[in-house]
Amino acid sequence: MPEQGVQAAGVRLDPVHPPRQLERDQPTAFIMIGGAVAIVAVFTLYPVGYALIGSLYNLSPILPRSFAGLMNFSHIFGSQYFGFALKTTAVFALLTVPAIVVLGLLVALLLDRRFRGDGFVKVAILLPWTIPAATGGVMWKGVFADSWGALNGTLYQLGLIREYISWLTDPTLAVAATTVAQVWAQFPLAAVLLLAAMQAIPDELYEAAAIDGASGLRRFAAVTFPHIRPMLIVVILFELLLALTAFDLIFAMTGGGPGTATTVLSYFIWSESFKMLSFGRGMALAVIIAGMAVILIAGLLRFMPRGALLEEVPR
Amino acid sequence: MIYLSAIVVVGFALAPFMWVILSGFLPEVAILTVPPEWFRSGLIVDNYRYILTGEIPRAHEVGGQLRRMISEEVRHVPRAALNSSVVAGAVLLLNWLLGVPAAYAYARLRFPGRVATFYFITVSRLIPAVALAIPYFLIVQRLGLLDRHFALILIHTALTIPFTVLILVLYFRSIPVEIEESAQLDGASRWAILRKVMLPLALPSLVGAGLFAFMLSYSEFLFALLVTTSEYSRTLPVTLSSVASNPDVSWSLLSAGTTLAVLPALILVWPIWRYMVRGLVSGSLN
Repeated sequence: MPEQGVQAAGVRLDPVHPPRQLERDQPTAFIMIGGAVAIVAVFTLYPVGYALIGSLYNLSPILPRSFAGLMNFSHIFGSQYFGFALKTTAVFALLTVPAIVVLGLLVALLLDRRFRGDGFVKVAILLPWTIPAATGGVMWKGVFADSWGALNGTLYQLGLIREYISWLTDPTLAVAATTVAQVWAQFPLAAVLLLAAMQAIPDELYEAAAIDGASGLRRFAAVTFPHIRPMLIVVILFELLLALTAFDLIFAMTGGGPGTATTVLSYFIWSESFKMLSFGRGMALAVIIAGMAVILIAGLLRFMPRGALLEEVPR
Repeated sequence: MIYLSAIVVVGFALAPFMWVILSGFLPEVAILTVPPEWFRSGLIVDNYRYILTGEIPRAHEVGGQLRRMISEEVRHVPRAALNSSVVAGAVLLLNWLLGVPAAYAYARLRFPGRVATFYFITVSRLIPAVALAIPYFLIVQRLGLLDRHFALILIHTALTIPFTVLILVLYFRSIPVEIEESAQLDGASRWAILRKVMLPLALPSLVGAGLFAFMLSYSEFLFALLVTTSEYSRTLPVTLSSVASNPDVSWSLLSAGTTLAVLPALILVWPIWRYMVRGLVSGSLN
């Protein structure tokens, strides 16, 4: 950009944003944001458009392409497997999201206090979140595996069970096992985000509450909760989105099985597209899931206090 | 009471790691015996030696052809870890290159479309990844970029850059404007101010945001699975889950592979905490 020395006096007179400075900054700004905006646009707008249009076609690597109208959608809504996958996903989300939020909240409350070794605890609990979710799935498979898993071995040695339990081949237990793994992988982030919100609460508020003689629970309800509410909603939203689109962990841990017991919607898209080679139907499914996510997000955002998110946007 | 709950939480977080690390040093037979005899036959390093050098563990030599063949896939783990590191490293660099100026512009400059494009970038991450999977696959295939890391690098950059921009905008805005003003008076351009004034100040969060992008890319599974098809270009999560989904795989070998795979996370977790999460938690961003 051209030299700005001449503007020195102008800057001093109007330190915020002199008009000529503003003009000069504009091209710079466009160049500065250009790369980031371009790459995000290319990798979201185009694929989303592609999916919307593709969902209206019979699209497959082995068959000629033809227009299908809404056939893909009607086929999906008529299929019992979609119903199964929808129910499995809903159950998975209803089990994992509350567990993650509650555990994350408890851990954040624990870490909000000072105690010897709290630094170690903070780093240690972060570990499940820093490793690839697929790797986490592999690790939990080693814990829950029916015949050689650590859990069965440990319970047996302790004399708590007489026979090995089929954690991963019993449909109900397999859902429970994937739930444990998902909670394990996600509670660190919830805890850290909620802890961040808690530490932003001014100490004076707690002192005032203490003077009023408020008990621990009362303090939480009156001071902590109202302040962490926006973050709590962000966490719930984020975890809900993750649960609805969970894939890696389940892929590595159970592969959707036994049968279709852990076939969540994402896995269903995957098998519909890349096992059944029906891309059009896969994209129709993707459109349905994205639509559901948008509706859920919009619904949850209504609980958000006004301005809680906007604050993060430059004024 | 505090310590008890702290121990329980840490135990829950670390238990699977301990089991995986332990079983990587055990012979297969110690795990498969019912009841298990984990400590009966002592610890061995055969599994690691096999992955790194190809020398078949003693316990496997009696095994059939099949087992040996299957276990061979584990040997791709170091290669896959290298692939993942290369991709994630490139993603980190691109995040810095594109994300830093963008974050600076959003934090400091006024221009039309600022709020709109900022929202667009951050909200783009709310699109479920699965919804983009097939279009990505078809587009990459048509461009002839299947099995090339280049395509994956671009995809991962698009996925991570919103976080980088968001983190750095918050950080840049916490730096007082006055620091810049004196440089402005000296006639420095915006680029020079960014380079000479802001970057040194923002170095910790730059490291933090970069590591965050690195870890996200290193861990990403779905798109890596779609884009890298041959076992030579596969990234770590893909190779590991492919090994793990094999019903006959030797768990002790897989554990050794998994341990190698999570090693970077074990090493990076401290700097991530130090440079990123701690700043977030101690409220320096407010």
